[in-house]
Amino acid sequence: MSTLTKILIVLLTMFTILLCGIVVTYVATAVNYKEKYDGQQNRMRALTEEKNAADQKRNETIKKAEEREVELGKKISSLEADINKLQSDLTAAKQKRDDAIDRADNWQAIATDFSKTTEMQVQLAKDAINDRNEIDTERIDNLKELEEKTASLIENMALIEQLEQQTRTLREEKTALQNKLDQILAQYGKTIPTPLPITQISDKARTAPPVTGIDLKGKISDIDINNSTIEISVGSADGVREKMIFHATRGDKFICDIEIFEVDQDKAVGTLDLVQDTPRIGDLVSTNL
Amino acid sequence: MSPVQTQGRTSVPDNLYTAILAIAFFAVLATTALVAYMCYTQYETIFKIAS
Repeated sequence: MSTLTKILIVLLTMFTILLCGIVVTYVATAVNYKEKYDGQQNRMRALTEEKNAADQKRNETIKKAEEREVELGKKISSLEADINKLQSDLTAAKQKRDDAIDRADNWQAIATDFSKTTEMQVQLAKDAINDRNEIDTERIDNLKELEEKTASLIENMALIEQLEQQTRTLREEKTALQNKLDQILAQYGKTIPTPLPITQISDKARTAPPVTGIDLKGKISDIDINNSTIEISVGSADGVREKMIFHATRGDKFICDIEIFEVDQDKAVGTLDLVQDTPRIGDLVSTNL
Repeated sequence: MSPVQTQGRTSVPDNLYTAILAIAFFAVLATTALVAYMCYTQYETIFKIAS
């Protein structure tokens, strides 16, 4: 065997072993692409299924969202209608509230006026009760006086009857004496002259002509409830005198009587009497109804 | 074969080179077997392209 052959054998063996080592190293450390491919394939399949499921879910969600949108649109429309109705109701309620407030104010004003009127009526009633008590006292005094005067009148009537009886007796005596005197004088042809009465008889009283109404008219210009006095707009220049009685009226309604006790030139003041209603400033007063 | 004495130098017998060649052969064989095994276990084929 030649030397060259031996060298080639040795070199061939060395390179063979080197190449085999490289190949073994490469094969031992090579990546398993089939397994990796299968893994990627499975992963892609799973992702595809997930994608389809996600697409389906998305479509369902979109469909549900559209249905929900339609439903919410209907609800919004209904709620807008309710809102409009509630706004109209609110406006009406506000209007009613304003009306109620106005009515409450009016009622309050009426109540205030009514309270004032009631206070005035109470004061007038108290005054009327006081007047009635005074009148009752005066009436009792008058009754006593009347009883006394009646007793005195009865006594006077008895005295008058007694005097009349005496008068009749005197007349009878006079007639008898006259007859006797006539008989005596007739024997001598003489007569008795007509005697004149010792007491002169005055003329009989004549009935006075009826007083015509002076028809004074005016208005109530001021009221003093505490003193139960009223001032009227006519005075002495118009013919008003003390003790005159004016009748206060409002329309066709009789209010009260006013007895004048103080008169100025253009006004007069009187007290209330026969009060039927609360007098007010501006009520008409007149002497004739 | 026995070692040959040529011109006073010691020569290696030819059987040594035969053994070296045998080692190289078995190395190639073992490598081929390993590659085939790995191909089969990983791609389930030896000569065809895995699909």
